Amino acid sequence: MTMDSKTLVHIENVSKFYGELKALDSVSLDIHDGETVVIIGPSGSGKSTLLRSINQLETIDAGKIIIDGVDIYDEATNINTVREEVGMVFQSFNVFPHKTVMENLNLAQTVVRKRTVEEATGISKKLLEKVGIFEKAGQYPGKLSGGQQQRVAIARALAMTPKVMLFDEPTSALDPEMIGEVLDVMTKLAKEGMTMVVVTHEMGFAREVADRIIFMDHGAIVEQGTPDEFFDHTENDRAKLFLSQIL
Amino acid sequence: MPMSGSAENPKKIETSEGGAIPKKDDIGLFTAWRVTFIGAISIIAALVYFKPEPYLAILKFLPDGIYVTFKVTIASIFLSLVFGLIAGLGRISQNIFINGIASLYVEVIRGIPLLVQLFYIYFALGKFVQLPAELCAIIAMSICYGAYMAEIFRAGIDAIPKGQTEAARSLGMTSSQTTKHVILPQAIKTILPPVGNEFIALLKDSSLVSILAVSDLLRRGREYASESFDYFETYTMVALIYLVITLILSKLVAIMEDKISDDG
Repeated sequence: MTMDSKTLVHIENVSKFYGELKALDSVSLDIHDGETVVIIGPSGSGKSTLLRSINQLETIDAGKIIIDGVDIYDEATNINTVREEVGMVFQSFNVFPHKTVMENLNLAQTVVRKRTVEEATGISKKLLEKVGIFEKAGQYPGKLSGGQQQRVAIARALAMTPKVMLFDEPTSALDPEMIGEVLDVMTKLAKEGMTMVVVTHEMGFAREVADRIIFMDHGAIVEQGTPDEFFDHTENDRAKLFLSQIL
Repeated sequence: MPMSGSAENPKKIETSEGGAIPKKDDIGLFTAWRVTFIGAISIIAALVYFKPEPYLAILKFLPDGIYVTFKVTIASIFLSLVFGLIAGLGRISQNIFINGIASLYVEVIRGIPLLVQLFYIYFALGKFVQLPAELCAIIAMSICYGAYMAEIFRAGIDAIPKGQTEAARSLGMTSSQTTKHVILPQAIKTILPPVGNEFIALLKDSSLVSILAVSDLLRRGREYASESFDYFETYTMVALIYLVITLILSKLVAIMEDKISDDG
Protein backbone atom coordinates (compact mmCIF):
# COMPACT_ATOMS: atom_id res chain seq x y z
CA MET A 1 0.00 0.00 0.00
CA THR A 2 1.28 3.40 -0.93
CA MET A 3 -0.34 6.64 0.09
CA ASP A 4 -0.55 7.90 -3.47
CA SER A 5 -2.76 5.02 -4.62
CA LYS A 6 -6.32 5.74 -5.68
CA THR A 7 -8.84 7.02 -3.13
CA LEU A 8 -11.70 4.49 -2.97
CA VAL A 9 -13.81 6.01 -0.21
CA HIS A 10 -13.84 9.75 0.32
CA ILE A 11 -15.61 11.01 3.44
CA GLU A 12 -15.89 14.77 3.71
CA ASN A 13 -17.18 16.78 6.68
CA VAL A 14 -19.81 14.20 7.56
CA SER A 15 -22.10 15.02 10.49
CA LYS A 16 -25.03 13.20 11.98
CA PHE A 17 -27.33 14.10 14.86
CA TYR A 18 -29.59 12.02 17.06
CA GLY A 19 -31.75 14.84 18.35
CA GLU A 20 -29.34 16.95 20.42
CA LEU A 21 -26.56 14.37 20.32
CA LYS A 22 -23.87 14.84 17.73
CA ALA A 23 -23.14 11.26 16.66
CA LEU A 24 -20.71 12.34 13.94
CA ASP A 25 -18.98 15.69 14.11
CA SER A 26 -17.60 16.84 10.77
CA VAL A 27 -15.66 13.68 10.01
CA SER A 28 -13.31 13.59 7.02
CA LEU A 29 -11.44 10.50 5.96
CA ASP A 30 -9.95 9.05 2.77
CA ILE A 31 -9.56 5.33 2.31
CA HIS A 32 -7.20 4.21 -0.41
CA ASP A 33 -7.38 1.21 -2.68
CA GLY A 34 -5.93 -1.85 -0.96
CA GLU A 35 -5.68 -0.19 2.44
CA THR A 36 -6.78 -1.71 5.75
CA VAL A 37 -8.09 0.98 8.07
CA VAL A 38 -9.00 0.04 11.63
CA ILE A 39 -11.30 2.37 13.55
CA ILE A 40 -11.11 2.18 17.31
CA GLY A 41 -12.50 4.20 20.17
CA PRO A 42 -14.69 3.99 23.25
CA SER A 43 -18.31 2.85 22.88
CA GLY A 44 -20.57 5.65 21.71
CA SER A 45 -17.70 7.35 19.91
CA GLY A 46 -19.48 7.12 16.56
CA LYS A 47 -17.27 4.52 14.91
CA SER A 48 -20.10 2.13 13.99
CA THR A 49 -22.26 5.03 12.85
CA LEU A 50 -19.47 6.22 10.56
CA LEU A 51 -18.99 2.72 9.15
CA ARG A 52 -22.74 2.24 8.59
CA SER A 53 -23.05 5.59 6.85
CA ILE A 54 -20.55 4.42 4.21
CA ASN A 55 -23.19 2.09 2.71
CA GLN A 56 -26.09 4.27 3.84
CA LEU A 57 -27.46 1.94 6.50
CA GLU A 58 -27.35 5.22 8.43
CA THR A 59 -28.15 8.45 6.66
CA ILE A 60 -26.06 11.54 7.30
CA ASP A 61 -27.26 15.07 8.00
CA ALA A 62 -24.35 16.93 6.43
CA GLY A 63 -21.26 16.23 4.35
CA LYS A 64 -20.40 14.01 1.45
CA ILE A 65 -19.43 10.40 0.88
CA ILE A 66 -17.95 9.39 -2.46
CA ILE A 67 -17.26 5.73 -3.24
CA ASP A 68 -15.13 5.04 -6.29
CA GLY A 69 -16.21 8.32 -7.85
CA VAL A 70 -19.92 7.97 -7.02
CA ASP A 71 -21.52 10.48 -4.67
CA ILE A 72 -23.79 8.15 -2.69
CA TYR A 73 -26.03 10.91 -1.34
CA ASP A 74 -26.64 12.37 -4.79
CA GLU A 75 -30.32 11.96 -5.64
CA ALA A 76 -29.44 10.46 -9.01
CA THR A 77 -27.45 7.66 -7.36
CA ASN A 78 -29.09 4.26 -6.99
CA ILE A 79 -27.92 3.14 -3.55
CA ASN A 80 -28.48 -0.53 -4.41
CA THR A 81 -25.87 -0.31 -7.14
CA VAL A 82 -23.42 1.27 -4.68
CA ARG A 83 -24.10 -1.42 -2.08
CA GLU A 84 -23.23 -4.17 -4.58
CA GLU A 85 -19.68 -2.85 -4.44
CA VAL A 86 -19.52 -2.46 -0.65
CA GLY A 87 -19.49 -5.68 1.38
CA MET A 88 -20.58 -5.53 5.00
CA VAL A 89 -20.01 -7.90 7.91
CA PHE A 90 -22.07 -7.41 11.06
CA GLN A 91 -21.47 -8.06 14.74
CA SER A 92 -24.53 -10.36 14.82
CA PHE A 93 -23.58 -12.25 11.60
CA ASN A 94 -27.09 -11.87 10.13
CA VAL A 95 -26.81 -14.97 8.00
CA PHE A 96 -30.13 -16.05 6.51
CA PRO A 97 -31.37 -18.89 8.76
CA HIS A 98 -33.86 -20.27 6.20
CA LYS A 99 -31.18 -20.83 3.58
CA THR A 100 -28.27 -23.26 3.46
CA VAL A 101 -24.74 -21.91 3.55
CA MET A 102 -24.49 -22.28 -0.22
CA GLU A 103 -27.85 -20.55 -0.74
CA ASN A 104 -26.73 -17.73 1.56
CA LEU A 105 -23.78 -17.10 -0.76
CA ASN A 106 -25.75 -17.57 -3.98
CA LEU A 107 -28.81 -15.43 -3.21
CA ALA A 108 -27.55 -11.92 -3.93
CA GLN A 109 -25.22 -13.20 -6.66
CA THR A 110 -28.18 -14.50 -8.63
CA VAL A 111 -30.78 -11.90 -7.66
CA VAL A 112 -28.60 -8.79 -7.73
CA ARG A 113 -25.55 -9.63 -9.86
CA LYS A 114 -27.73 -11.75 -12.19
CA ARG A 115 -25.24 -14.59 -12.30
CA THR A 116 -26.51 -18.04 -13.23
CA VAL A 117 -26.75 -20.57 -10.41
CA GLU A 118 -23.80 -22.50 -11.90
CA GLU A 119 -21.63 -19.38 -12.05
CA ALA A 120 -22.62 -18.36 -8.54
CA THR A 121 -22.04 -21.83 -7.13
CA GLY A 122 -18.57 -21.91 -8.66
CA ILE A 123 -17.67 -18.61 -7.01
CA SER A 124 -19.27 -19.65 -3.71
CA LYS A 125 -17.34 -22.93 -3.59
CA LYS A 126 -14.02 -21.12 -3.95
CA LEU A 127 -14.94 -18.64 -1.22
CA LEU A 128 -16.16 -21.32 1.18
CA GLU A 129 -12.85 -23.07 0.69
CA LYS A 130 -11.04 -19.83 1.34
CA VAL A 131 -12.83 -19.22 4.66
CA GLY A 132 -12.44 -22.90 5.57
CA ILE A 133 -16.05 -24.11 5.72
CA PHE A 134 -16.41 -25.84 2.38
CA GLU A 135 -17.76 -28.99 4.05
CA LYS A 136 -20.68 -27.01 5.55
CA ALA A 137 -22.05 -25.85 2.17
CA GLY A 138 -25.27 -27.86 2.46
CA GLN A 139 -25.94 -27.08 6.15
CA TYR A 140 -28.35 -24.55 7.60
CA PRO A 141 -26.68 -21.78 9.67
CA GLY A 142 -28.50 -22.94 12.83
CA LYS A 143 -26.24 -25.98 12.88
CA LEU A 144 -23.07 -23.86 12.74
CA SER A 145 -21.02 -22.26 15.51
CA GLY A 146 -20.82 -18.47 15.78
CA GLY A 147 -17.36 -18.41 14.26
CA GLN A 148 -18.51 -20.53 11.33
CA GLN A 149 -21.59 -18.32 10.82
CA GLN A 150 -19.42 -15.22 10.74
CA ARG A 151 -17.15 -16.83 8.16
CA VAL A 152 -20.25 -17.60 6.07
CA ALA A 153 -21.22 -13.94 6.38
CA ILE A 154 -17.76 -12.85 5.21
CA ALA A 155 -17.87 -15.25 2.25
CA ARG A 156 -21.39 -14.05 1.42
CA ALA A 157 -20.19 -10.45 1.23
CA LEU A 158 -17.09 -11.43 -0.79
CA ALA A 159 -19.25 -13.36 -3.27
CA MET A 160 -20.47 -10.03 -4.63
CA THR A 161 -16.82 -9.22 -5.53
CA PRO A 162 -16.99 -5.90 -3.68
CA LYS A 163 -14.42 -3.13 -4.00
CA VAL A 164 -14.38 -2.48 -0.27
CA MET A 165 -15.33 -4.51 2.80
CA LEU A 166 -16.78 -2.99 5.97
CA PHE A 167 -16.51 -4.93 9.25
CA ASP A 168 -18.69 -3.74 12.15
CA GLU A 169 -17.22 -5.34 15.30
CA PRO A 170 -17.13 -8.74 13.58
CA THR A 171 -15.80 -10.64 16.61
CA SER A 172 -17.68 -8.92 19.47
CA ALA A 173 -20.50 -11.48 19.59
CA LEU A 174 -18.16 -14.48 19.45
CA ASP A 175 -16.98 -16.80 22.18
CA PRO A 176 -13.26 -16.18 22.81
CA GLU A 177 -12.13 -19.46 21.26
CA MET A 178 -13.78 -18.54 17.94
CA ILE A 179 -12.35 -15.05 17.56
CA GLY A 180 -9.08 -16.34 16.10
CA GLU A 181 -10.63 -18.18 13.17
CA VAL A 182 -12.50 -15.04 12.05
CA LEU A 183 -9.50 -12.75 12.49
CA ASP A 184 -7.37 -15.21 10.50
CA VAL A 185 -9.74 -14.92 7.55
CA MET A 186 -9.68 -11.13 7.80
CA THR A 187 -5.88 -11.07 8.00
CA LYS A 188 -5.69 -13.23 4.88
CA LEU A 189 -8.04 -10.84 3.06
CA ALA A 190 -6.00 -7.79 4.05
CA LYS A 191 -2.80 -9.45 2.82
CA GLU A 192 -4.45 -10.21 -0.52
CA GLY A 193 -5.00 -6.48 -0.95
CA MET A 194 -8.70 -6.16 -0.18
CA THR A 195 -9.67 -2.65 0.85
CA MET A 196 -11.04 -2.96 4.38
CA VAL A 197 -12.54 -0.68 7.01
CA VAL A 198 -12.73 -2.46 10.35
CA VAL A 199 -14.37 -1.34 13.57
CA THR A 200 -13.00 -3.57 16.31
CA HIS A 201 -11.80 -3.88 19.87
CA GLU A 202 -9.19 -6.45 18.88
CA MET A 203 -6.02 -4.44 19.46
CA GLY A 204 -3.74 -7.31 18.46
CA PHE A 205 -5.38 -7.42 15.04
CA ALA A 206 -5.24 -3.63 14.73
CA ARG A 207 -1.54 -3.55 15.51
CA GLU A 208 -0.58 -6.37 13.16
CA VAL A 209 -2.89 -5.93 10.19
CA ALA A 210 -3.87 -2.27 9.97
CA ASP A 211 -2.14 0.10 7.60
CA ARG A 212 -3.67 2.96 9.52
CA ILE A 213 -5.43 3.37 12.85
CA ILE A 214 -8.24 5.88 13.24
CA PHE A 215 -9.09 6.82 16.82
CA MET A 216 -12.55 8.31 17.35
CA ASP A 217 -14.12 9.94 20.39
CA HIS A 218 -17.36 11.92 20.76
CA GLY A 219 -18.17 11.56 17.07
CA ALA A 220 -14.88 12.97 15.81
CA ILE A 221 -11.55 11.61 14.59
CA VAL A 222 -9.16 12.54 17.35
CA GLU A 223 -5.99 10.86 16.20
CA GLN A 224 -4.70 8.75 13.35
CA GLY A 225 -1.51 7.13 12.25
CA THR A 226 0.29 3.87 11.58
CA PRO A 227 -0.12 1.23 14.31
CA ASP A 228 3.40 1.95 15.45
CA GLU A 229 2.78 5.69 15.72
CA PHE A 230 -0.58 5.23 17.42
CA PHE A 231 0.08 2.48 19.93
CA ASP A 232 3.58 3.48 20.96
CA HIS A 233 4.01 7.17 20.30
CA THR A 234 0.68 8.96 20.54
CA GLU A 235 0.77 12.35 22.23
CA ASN A 236 -3.02 12.65 22.38
CA ASP A 237 -4.40 12.55 25.94
CA ARG A 238 -7.71 10.89 25.10
CA ALA A 239 -5.97 8.24 22.99
CA LYS A 240 -3.51 7.63 25.82
CA LEU A 241 -6.36 7.27 28.31
CA PHE A 242 -8.21 4.85 26.01
CA LEU A 243 -5.10 2.76 25.45
CA SER A 244 -4.34 2.61 29.16
CA GLN A 245 -7.85 1.29 29.79
CA ILE A 246 -7.89 -1.29 27.04
CA LEU A 247 -4.35 -2.67 26.94
CA MET B 1 -35.10 -25.47 13.52
CA PRO B 2 -32.37 -24.46 15.95
CA MET B 3 -30.93 -21.05 15.62
CA SER B 4 -28.15 -19.31 17.41
CA GLY B 5 -26.90 -15.90 18.35
CA SER B 6 -29.13 -12.98 17.54
CA ALA B 7 -31.09 -14.84 14.87
CA GLU B 8 -33.43 -16.33 17.45
CA ASN B 9 -36.93 -17.19 16.42
CA PRO B 10 -39.62 -15.30 18.31
CA LYS B 11 -41.87 -17.46 20.44
CA LYS B 12 -44.91 -18.74 18.61
CA ILE B 13 -48.21 -17.15 19.39
CA GLU B 14 -50.36 -19.83 21.04
CA THR B 15 -54.07 -19.34 20.68
CA SER B 16 -56.67 -21.54 19.11
CA GLU B 17 -59.75 -20.54 17.23
CA GLY B 18 -61.32 -23.93 17.82
CA GLY B 19 -60.86 -27.43 16.57
CA ALA B 20 -58.26 -28.33 19.22
CA ILE B 21 -55.32 -28.46 16.83
CA PRO B 22 -53.22 -31.45 17.91
CA LYS B 23 -49.63 -30.58 18.84
CA LYS B 24 -46.77 -32.46 17.28
CA ASP B 25 -45.67 -33.96 20.58
CA ASP B 26 -49.24 -34.91 21.48
CA ILE B 27 -48.98 -38.55 20.47
CA GLY B 28 -51.42 -40.11 22.94
CA LEU B 29 -54.24 -42.22 21.58
CA PHE B 30 -56.94 -40.13 23.28
CA THR B 31 -56.12 -36.64 22.15
CA ALA B 32 -58.97 -34.12 22.34
CA TRP B 33 -58.97 -34.01 18.56
CA ARG B 34 -59.35 -37.78 18.12
CA VAL B 35 -62.02 -38.13 20.78
CA THR B 36 -64.09 -35.34 19.25
CA PHE B 37 -63.59 -36.43 15.66
CA ILE B 38 -64.33 -40.10 16.19
CA GLY B 39 -67.17 -39.19 18.54
CA ALA B 40 -68.84 -36.89 16.01
CA ILE B 41 -68.49 -39.41 13.17
CA SER B 42 -69.85 -42.22 15.37
CA ILE B 43 -72.87 -40.18 16.44
CA ILE B 44 -73.69 -39.31 12.82
CA ALA B 45 -73.31 -42.98 11.82
CA ALA B 46 -75.43 -44.18 14.75
CA LEU B 47 -78.21 -41.68 14.09
CA VAL B 48 -78.36 -42.56 10.41
CA TYR B 49 -78.20 -46.30 11.15
CA PHE B 50 -80.70 -46.49 13.97
CA LYS B 51 -83.06 -43.71 12.89
CA PRO B 52 -82.79 -43.42 9.10
CA GLU B 53 -86.05 -41.48 9.13
CA PRO B 54 -85.40 -38.52 9.26
CA TYR B 55 -81.59 -38.55 9.69
CA LEU B 56 -80.71 -40.29 6.42
CA ALA B 57 -83.04 -37.96 4.54
CA ILE B 58 -81.40 -34.95 6.16
CA LEU B 59 -77.93 -36.26 5.37
CA LYS B 60 -78.90 -36.69 1.73
CA PHE B 61 -80.31 -33.17 1.57
CA LEU B 62 -77.22 -31.37 2.94
CA PRO B 63 -74.29 -32.13 0.53
CA ASP B 64 -75.23 -29.26 -1.82
CA GLY B 65 -74.92 -26.94 1.17
CA ILE B 66 -71.60 -28.46 2.21
CA TYR B 67 -70.33 -27.82 -1.31
CA VAL B 68 -71.36 -24.14 -1.16
CA THR B 69 -69.83 -23.73 2.30
CA PHE B 70 -66.55 -25.14 0.96
CA LYS B 71 -66.69 -22.93 -2.11
CA VAL B 72 -67.29 -19.75 -0.11
CA THR B 73 -64.69 -20.68 2.52
CA ILE B 74 -61.90 -21.63 0.12
CA ALA B 75 -62.45 -18.62 -2.14
CA SER B 76 -62.52 -16.32 0.89
CA ILE B 77 -59.36 -17.87 2.35
CA PHE B 78 -57.41 -17.22 -0.84
CA LEU B 79 -58.73 -13.71 -1.32
CA SER B 80 -58.27 -12.75 2.33
CA LEU B 81 -54.66 -13.96 2.18
CA VAL B 82 -54.08 -11.66 -0.78
CA PHE B 83 -55.78 -8.70 0.96
CA GLY B 84 -54.01 -9.51 4.20
CA LEU B 85 -50.56 -9.66 2.60
CA ILE B 86 -51.05 -6.42 0.70
CA ALA B 87 -52.46 -4.58 3.72
CA GLY B 88 -49.89 -6.14 6.05
CA LEU B 89 -47.02 -4.93 3.85
CA GLY B 90 -48.80 -1.58 3.60
CA ARG B 91 -48.88 -1.33 7.40
CA ILE B 92 -45.08 -1.59 7.61
CA SER B 93 -44.47 0.61 4.58
CA GLN B 94 -42.42 3.77 5.09
CA ASN B 95 -44.66 5.51 2.57
CA ILE B 96 -47.11 7.61 4.61
CA PHE B 97 -49.84 7.40 1.96
CA ILE B 98 -49.74 3.60 1.57
CA ASN B 99 -49.36 3.14 5.31
CA GLY B 100 -52.35 5.41 5.95
CA ILE B 101 -54.64 3.56 3.57
CA ALA B 102 -53.64 0.15 4.95
CA SER B 103 -54.10 1.29 8.55
CA LEU B 104 -57.47 2.84 7.77
CA TYR B 105 -58.63 -0.38 6.11
CA VAL B 106 -57.56 -2.51 9.06
CA GLU B 107 -59.06 -0.21 11.70
CA VAL B 108 -62.38 0.38 9.94
CA ILE B 109 -63.02 -3.22 8.94
CA ARG B 110 -62.06 -4.68 12.30
CA GLY B 111 -64.42 -2.25 13.99
CA ILE B 112 -67.52 -3.39 12.09
CA PRO B 113 -69.17 -6.78 12.72
CA LEU B 114 -68.97 -9.24 9.83
CA LEU B 115 -72.75 -9.60 9.75
CA VAL B 116 -73.13 -5.85 9.28
CA GLN B 117 -70.52 -5.91 6.51
CA LEU B 118 -72.42 -8.69 4.77
CA PHE B 119 -75.64 -6.69 4.94
CA TYR B 120 -73.86 -3.58 3.80
CA ILE B 121 -72.27 -5.10 0.72
CA TYR B 122 -75.35 -7.05 -0.34
CA PHE B 123 -78.23 -4.76 0.62
CA ALA B 124 -76.78 -1.26 1.03
CA LEU B 125 -74.40 -1.32 -1.93
CA GLY B 126 -77.03 -3.34 -3.77
CA LYS B 127 -78.67 0.00 -4.36
CA PHE B 128 -75.89 0.79 -6.86
CA VAL B 129 -74.66 -2.59 -8.09
CA GLN B 130 -76.53 -5.81 -7.63
CA LEU B 131 -74.03 -8.64 -7.52
CA PRO B 132 -74.91 -12.31 -6.98
CA ALA B 133 -75.35 -13.16 -3.31
CA GLU B 134 -72.57 -15.73 -3.33
CA LEU B 135 -70.09 -13.26 -4.77
CA CYS B 136 -71.11 -10.63 -2.21
CA ALA B 137 -70.61 -13.18 0.52
CA ILE B 138 -67.09 -14.00 -0.69
CA ILE B 139 -66.18 -10.33 -1.07
CA ALA B 140 -67.42 -9.41 2.40
CA MET B 141 -65.71 -12.36 4.08
CA SER B 142 -62.43 -11.70 2.25
CA ILE B 143 -62.37 -8.01 3.08
CA CYS B 144 -63.19 -8.71 6.71
CA TYR B 145 -60.71 -11.53 7.24
CA GLY B 146 -58.08 -9.75 5.14
CA ALA B 147 -57.99 -7.04 7.81
CA TYR B 148 -57.35 -9.57 10.58
CA MET B 149 -54.74 -11.38 8.51
CA ALA B 150 -53.03 -8.07 7.75
CA GLU B 151 -52.35 -7.64 11.45
CA ILE B 152 -50.92 -11.16 11.67
CA PHE B 153 -48.69 -10.56 8.65
CA ARG B 154 -47.52 -7.26 10.13
CA ALA B 155 -46.69 -8.85 13.47
CA GLY B 156 -44.92 -11.78 11.79
CA ILE B 157 -42.81 -9.51 9.63
CA ASP B 158 -42.03 -7.20 12.57
CA ALA B 159 -40.74 -10.20 14.49
CA ILE B 160 -37.89 -10.82 12.01
CA PRO B 161 -34.68 -9.25 13.38
CA LYS B 162 -33.71 -5.96 11.74
CA GLY B 163 -30.27 -7.37 10.98
CA GLN B 164 -31.79 -9.66 8.34
CA THR B 165 -33.03 -6.67 6.36
CA GLU B 166 -29.75 -4.82 6.83
CA ALA B 167 -27.75 -7.82 5.63
CA ALA B 168 -29.91 -8.23 2.53
CA ARG B 169 -29.90 -4.52 1.72
CA SER B 170 -26.13 -4.27 2.23
CA LEU B 171 -25.75 -6.97 -0.45
CA GLY B 172 -27.49 -4.62 -2.89
CA MET B 173 -30.90 -6.26 -2.74
CA THR B 174 -33.86 -3.94 -3.23
CA SER B 175 -36.57 -3.57 -0.65
CA SER B 176 -38.94 -5.88 -2.53
CA GLN B 177 -36.22 -8.49 -3.19
CA THR B 178 -35.47 -8.44 0.54
CA THR B 179 -39.13 -8.94 1.41
CA LYS B 180 -39.54 -11.75 -1.09
CA HIS B 181 -36.35 -13.73 -0.50
CA VAL B 182 -35.44 -12.97 3.11
CA ILE B 183 -38.33 -11.63 5.20
CA LEU B 184 -41.47 -13.46 4.03
CA PRO B 185 -39.97 -16.97 3.91
CA GLN B 186 -38.93 -16.53 7.56
CA ALA B 187 -42.14 -14.80 8.63
CA ILE B 188 -44.27 -17.65 7.25
CA LYS B 189 -43.21 -19.89 10.13
CA THR B 190 -44.47 -17.54 12.82
CA ILE B 191 -47.46 -16.45 10.80
CA LEU B 192 -48.81 -19.86 9.94
CA PRO B 193 -50.35 -20.93 13.30
CA PRO B 194 -52.42 -17.75 13.79
CA VAL B 195 -53.35 -17.69 10.10
CA GLY B 196 -54.48 -21.30 10.38
CA ASN B 197 -56.72 -20.22 13.23
CA GLU B 198 -58.20 -17.54 11.01
CA PHE B 199 -58.98 -20.22 8.40
CA ILE B 200 -60.96 -22.16 10.96
CA ALA B 201 -62.75 -19.05 12.24
CA LEU B 202 -63.55 -18.11 8.66
CA LEU B 203 -65.02 -21.53 7.98
CA LYS B 204 -67.32 -21.20 10.96
CA ASP B 205 -68.25 -17.59 10.18
CA SER B 206 -69.16 -18.66 6.65
CA SER B 207 -72.47 -19.82 8.18
CA LEU B 208 -73.36 -16.12 8.44
CA VAL B 209 -73.71 -15.91 4.67
CA SER B 210 -76.84 -18.03 4.88
CA ILE B 211 -78.58 -14.78 5.73
CA LEU B 212 -77.94 -13.52 2.16
CA ALA B 213 -79.90 -16.39 0.60
CA VAL B 214 -76.66 -18.26 -0.14
CA SER B 215 -77.50 -21.96 0.04
CA ASP B 216 -74.69 -23.01 2.31
CA LEU B 217 -74.81 -25.82 4.84
CA LEU B 218 -76.79 -23.86 7.43
CA ARG B 219 -79.20 -22.47 4.84
CA ARG B 220 -79.89 -25.93 3.43
CA GLY B 221 -80.59 -27.15 6.94
CA ARG B 222 -83.00 -24.29 7.51
CA GLU B 223 -84.78 -25.09 4.24
CA TYR B 224 -85.16 -28.72 5.24
CA ALA B 225 -86.30 -27.95 8.78
CA SER B 226 -88.89 -25.37 7.77
CA GLU B 227 -90.57 -27.90 5.50
CA SER B 228 -90.31 -30.99 7.67
CA PHE B 229 -90.50 -29.26 11.08
CA ASP B 230 -87.67 -31.61 12.21
CA TYR B 231 -85.79 -28.70 13.78
CA PHE B 232 -84.00 -30.72 16.45
CA GLU B 233 -82.89 -33.49 14.10
CA THR B 234 -81.83 -31.16 11.29
CA TYR B 235 -79.79 -28.74 13.38
CA THR B 236 -78.19 -31.62 15.28
CA MET B 237 -76.98 -32.97 11.96
CA VAL B 238 -75.86 -29.52 10.76
CA ALA B 239 -73.91 -28.93 13.97
CA LEU B 240 -72.22 -32.34 13.76
CA ILE B 241 -71.23 -31.82 10.14
CA TYR B 242 -69.74 -28.37 10.94
CA LEU B 243 -67.82 -29.98 13.77
CA VAL B 244 -66.39 -32.69 11.51
CA ILE B 245 -65.40 -30.19 8.81
CA THR B 246 -63.76 -27.87 11.37
CA LEU B 247 -61.81 -30.77 12.84
CA ILE B 248 -60.59 -31.88 9.42
CA LEU B 249 -59.50 -28.35 8.57
CA SER B 250 -57.67 -27.97 11.87
CA LYS B 251 -55.86 -31.22 11.18
CA LEU B 252 -54.83 -29.96 7.74
CA VAL B 253 -53.52 -26.75 9.30
CA ALA B 254 -51.52 -28.76 11.83
CA ILE B 255 -50.00 -30.93 9.09
CA MET B 256 -49.10 -27.83 7.11
CA GLU B 257 -47.41 -26.29 10.17
CA ASP B 258 -45.37 -29.42 10.77
CA LYS B 259 -44.27 -29.51 7.16
CA ILE B 260 -43.16 -25.89 7.17
CA SER B 261 -41.34 -26.04 10.51
CA ASP B 262 -39.49 -29.19 9.36
CA ASP B 263 -38.10 -27.54 6.25
CA GLY B 264 -34.81 -26.03 7.39
